[in-house]
Amino acid sequence: MAKRLVNNVRLGAFVMAGLLFLVLLLYMIGRNRSLFGSNYILKARFENVQGLVPGNNVRYSGIQSGTVKTIEIVNDTSIEVSMLIDTKMEDIIRKDAIVSIGSDGLVGNKVVNIIPGEIHDDLAKEGDVLVSKNPIDTESILKTLSKTNNDVAEIVSGLKVTVERINNSTALWSILSEESLPEDLRQSAANIRKATSRAGLMADDLHVIVSDLKSGKGSAGILLRDTSFANNLNQAVLKMRQLSTNADKLSLQMTTLISGIQNDLNSGKGAASTILKDTSVVNKLNTSLDNIQRGTDGFNQNMEALKKSFLLRGYFKRQEKKRASSNP
Amino acid sequence: MSLRSDFTAFLNGNGELFSFSLRFFRHGLNPPFEFAEFIKQCYVIGYKSLPLIGLTAFIMGIVLTMQLRPSMADYGVESQLPAIVAIAVVREVGPVITALIFAGKIGSSIGAELGSMKVTEQIDAMEVSGTNPFKYLVVTRVLACTLMLPVLVMLGDAISLYGAYLGVNIHTNTSFNLFWTQVFDNLVFGDVLPAFIKSFFFGFAVGIIGCYKGYNSSRGTEGVGLSANSAVVVSSVMIFIIDLLAVQVTNIFDY
Repeated sequence: MAKRLVNNVRLGAFVMAGLLFLVLLLYMIGRNRSLFGSNYILKARFENVQGLVPGNNVRYSGIQSGTVKTIEIVNDTSIEVSMLIDTKMEDIIRKDAIVSIGSDGLVGNKVVNIIPGEIHDDLAKEGDVLVSKNPIDTESILKTLSKTNNDVAEIVSGLKVTVERINNSTALWSILSEESLPEDLRQSAANIRKATSRAGLMADDLHVIVSDLKSGKGSAGILLRDTSFANNLNQAVLKMRQLSTNADKLSLQMTTLISGIQNDLNSGKGAASTILKDTSVVNKLNTSLDNIQRGTDGFNQNMEALKKSFLLRGYFKRQEKKRASSNP
Repeated sequence: MSLRSDFTAFLNGNGELFSFSLRFFRHGLNPPFEFAEFIKQCYVIGYKSLPLIGLTAFIMGIVLTMQLRPSMADYGVESQLPAIVAIAVVREVGPVITALIFAGKIGSSIGAELGSMKVTEQIDAMEVSGTNPFKYLVVTRVLACTLMLPVLVMLGDAISLYGAYLGVNIHTNTSFNLFWTQVFDNLVFGDVLPAFIKSFFFGFAVGIIGCYKGYNSSRGTEGVGLSANSAVVVSSVMIFIIDLLAVQVTNIFDY
């Protein structure tokens, strides 16, 4: 009986193991088909789906994020692909995301690639139709390539003509074969270098000057930057203006005075006119001055005599001593 | 014996096998059930076959991987090796190899056991003692075969895939995780479910043919050997015929 129980336990474990593997297999496949777990539908329209079938993978920036659910023909030029996308991508895929069909390796299954858009649009919701980029098919590549080839052929023939003309040109060749040309060019370059270095120095000087100006150094700086100087200048100008008005008045008074004097002079009134106009006065003055000369000479003699007389000699000596002591 | 009588014998055999199957269903669906005997047969048929099935499945996984590698490498799709081995094992190799080994081990043992019981008249004795020999011997065995083979196939698949994992790692360094991701990425329900369903039919075929051959054996001990032999041969052929039918049916349902 105990052996039978053990056998039953073994049998149970055996059957459970088998069924467990079946369930695991089915679950893993189902998970890959997006049958379990929550998801939502996004759509895209293509002209050509290139053999995409329901169940193919959908990748967002290369990450497995869903599967193709259905492929329906809407009309003769557009095919609508519905994709089951994991709910966890709901916060990531935006309305401007671009959908394209690619292939998994060179000969692998087709995959739908969703590439994030450039502008950050709103998040895509259930049932939204995303922008699709139609896959490049080899035929159109070949068409473009043949057009490009034609263009290249034209360009090459044009180039050929140009090269021939260059070859035939004597002027160009003479320039190219000129021996002194490199030397000249070299010297020119040296000159240019010198000029530029000088220009650089000049620019440095200018820079210093300008920075001085900015910081208010030097007379020009003061002129441009010092506000107190400007005030002073202003005041000075005001004063000058006052001065000039005063001068105006003065000159007016002067003219009236001068015109008065002029009148007096002309009419012979007053002392000045007498002095200026009367010749006899001049003669009298001359004789008076002569008399004064003579008088002062006589006074000088009298004074010398006084100094030498005994009565007053003492006084003069005291005077001299006092002067000598005050001026040692 | 002419060709015509051969053909008649063949049709006769088919008809008898069919009526034997109907008898199985008639007895199997009506109580009383021999439950304890059924569990015992499950243990003998299922559990006891696991080491053999496991060994062959493991070897099959490694060998299949190693055999496919050069061709895959020629096409530059060596990285798809886990995927193609998984599809091959789950769809075809696992069920068919397991069923053939199962037929060799269980079909022959059932045929020999029932045959010897028949020729030693134990079955008749059972009938006299009031036990329904068909219920007790045939229904339990056929049912056990039908239910145990799918379990064996599943475990065989698992062991095969592990063997394939080791086979892949002989030349390249593929992590266990990557291997299983590649396996499950490429398997679909259409690979697993038809294989699982057809393994029930394989099991039923092995059980019913073994029982039929044993139950109808005659001519003494010689007949026992003959019934054991023909049980294995016919059930093996039957497995391939069912496989052929299964693939047609599977394609009808577009898997």
